[in-house]
Amino acid sequence: MFRKSMISALSVAAITLGGVGSASASDCTVKLGAILPVSGPMGQVGERISATGQFAVDQFNEAGGVKGCDVKYVLRDTQGQSTIGVDAAKSLVDIEGVQALIGAVSSGVSLPVLTSVSVPSKITQVSCCSSSESFTALAKEGKTDGYWFRTYSTNRSQAAMGALLTANSGFKKTAVIYVNTDFGVGLAKRYAADIVKLGGSISSMVAYNESQQSYRAEVTTALQGDPDSLFLVAFPVDGSTLTREWLALGGTGNLIVNNSLRSSDYFEAVGSKHLQKLQGYDSAQPRIPSVANFNEMFEERFDGPPNGPGLHSVYDAVTVVLLAMEASDEITGENIRDNIRIVTAADGEEVYPGPEGIKRAKELLAAGKSIRYVGATGGLQFDQNGDVQAPKMTWKLVGDENVETGYFTTEEIADLIKKLDD
Amino acid sequence: MIGLISYLIFFLILALSFGIAVLGLNLQWGYTGLFNAGVAGFIAIGGYTMAILTGPSRDAVLGGFEMPFVVGLIGAMIASGIGAYIVGLATLRLKGEYLAVATFGIAVSIQLVCLNWEYLTGGTLGLIGIPNPSKDLATGPLAQNAVYLGIVIVIGGIAFWALERIVKSPWGRMLKAIREDEGAAASLGKSPVRVRLESFILGCMLMGLAGALLTAFIGYISPSDFLPIVTFQIWTMLIVGGSANNRGALLGAVLVWGVWTSSGFVISKFIPAEIQAQGGALQAILIGLILVVTLLMRPRGLIGEEKHVSRHASL
Repeated sequence: MFRKSMISALSVAAITLGGVGSASASDCTVKLGAILPVSGPMGQVGERISATGQFAVDQFNEAGGVKGCDVKYVLRDTQGQSTIGVDAAKSLVDIEGVQALIGAVSSGVSLPVLTSVSVPSKITQVSCCSSSESFTALAKEGKTDGYWFRTYSTNRSQAAMGALLTANSGFKKTAVIYVNTDFGVGLAKRYAADIVKLGGSISSMVAYNESQQSYRAEVTTALQGDPDSLFLVAFPVDGSTLTREWLALGGTGNLIVNNSLRSSDYFEAVGSKHLQKLQGYDSAQPRIPSVANFNEMFEERFDGPPNGPGLHSVYDAVTVVLLAMEASDEITGENIRDNIRIVTAADGEEVYPGPEGIKRAKELLAAGKSIRYVGATGGLQFDQNGDVQAPKMTWKLVGDENVETGYFTTEEIADLIKKLDD
Repeated sequence: MIGLISYLIFFLILALSFGIAVLGLNLQWGYTGLFNAGVAGFIAIGGYTMAILTGPSRDAVLGGFEMPFVVGLIGAMIASGIGAYIVGLATLRLKGEYLAVATFGIAVSIQLVCLNWEYLTGGTLGLIGIPNPSKDLATGPLAQNAVYLGIVIVIGGIAFWALERIVKSPWGRMLKAIREDEGAAASLGKSPVRVRLESFILGCMLMGLAGALLTAFIGYISPSDFLPIVTFQIWTMLIVGGSANNRGALLGAVLVWGVWTSSGFVISKFIPAEIQAQGGALQAILIGLILVVTLLMRPRGLIGEEKHVSRHASL
């Protein structure tokens, strides 16, 4: 039984491999690998991210694909486990022959994939969602060889936004409850340092571990010291458990939440009527027509607005990689890496998401011009470590409606961070 | 073709590294009857020891020893052995399901310690930049991985050979005697508690060794690598391959890891793109189904237990 399934898997692999060779001659396809957690603890988030990645590929194909070839989006599930993710990435690279990888979501999967697959095999890896500062550290040591990019802004700017929102609301004593992952710990620590500089203070810092039935103990600890506000760093499922218990035990309704909680799952699970004093921040969709355009296209395809973590950023990750492929003479990981800089050049001509924008971009690239892709998350500017700085927005709930309350440009964020770091 | 070979080498490195942990579990469960549900914890101890001993210096985290790979391997075995000694003293008077619950709890605790003791483990950020010895021995990813596979095969081979010798020795037969009838073994003057402790420590040292090999290969370690699912995977490998048989343990490791990973490949190949996102659930169903079918068709695993008698005995 096992032998049989192994043999059939291997023969499938062999057939595919044969297929790649012949495909390039006749009907051409270009493969883009995606390693995302579509099952396991991050499954809910991962499914939507993956569907949005597919959407970006479909739009690119509508505009004629890469160099006239159809792009095939090859998805592999990481199950949220690093060994599975590493294996999936390796099989995409070796057997499917992909030259670029999208993913993963959690840093604990993206990092081993980067160090054991992408860098040694010279494959460009672009993550939509990994926020850990370890990537920046690795890039500074020169260990990524430039193959690492992310379209999701790092913890640094998120912490600054959370702190700014807290200080501007006049809160003086804030409790912090954060998810005990690299994302949560990094963000909460930065936030604690930032809020003090903006004149606030921390009453308690409480980490919680994911997927528990109840967080009564954590909430009780956080309630000590009589905080006037709560900064909550969580994901929708655990976040709603925490918020319900926080409110039930008498916690203040003055909530500041991270961008992952800007999700209808969360609002519905807690009940919007209990969240009328909630505020949050997120990567902004800049006020340029093209972005509204993206949101419209998204709504048309999915019958709902693109609310949720990673959706805008995965769209941009996919589009940037495909544009870089288009700009390459030969599609190799190395060329994609170099050309990502060309398609996001600061002095390039601006192009926007959607089939029309992509067509325009392809014309400009064909004419040998550099372009500046201004995408679903705004103008993408990768620094030398592959990190991106994005504009931010703040939001709150009015009734069931998610309303934008403020907008911060990339420059404003950079100034804020500079002020906080001094 | 190169791509397929390159992937198979990569696959075997992971599968055989897991195989070494399965060999350790086989000594404990297959030969001694110890239900160790804390495998992930001992793999973690080995992995972190390797990362700390061989890794570069880090801000605010213990490290900077930059010791050779071999020292990392030996250190990992010693550390997991010490961990097993402490755990064993506390729990080995328990049996069966009680031992399972206790060791499971310990593995979860070890994972939480890794998550929270930032000075030692880097906390949730994990430890980066762990050197892979094959990078100095060869150039190009394919050759490097081939060298690393060679290292894993040699180390796994030594472990296999040693275990085969051990289980055929008088000590090995004593393990089985204790597994089958503790009272009878004790009446012959054997000390079940002591022997169980020895077997437990030796098995955990192999798990630590597996963790060290995996960590040096991947170059990164974080607490999310040691969730209870890892214990479940190692157990599945042993049960499918056949417990109380070292060949079965290695075979199970390769086959189960193969099914686990190739099911993802098959799904990405044959499920239409629109419902790919639901493929994860299918994969879980597929793996579960294969497990259940194996247990129904071959309850003793693919290769069952071999009979061992002393070579001095005449049958």
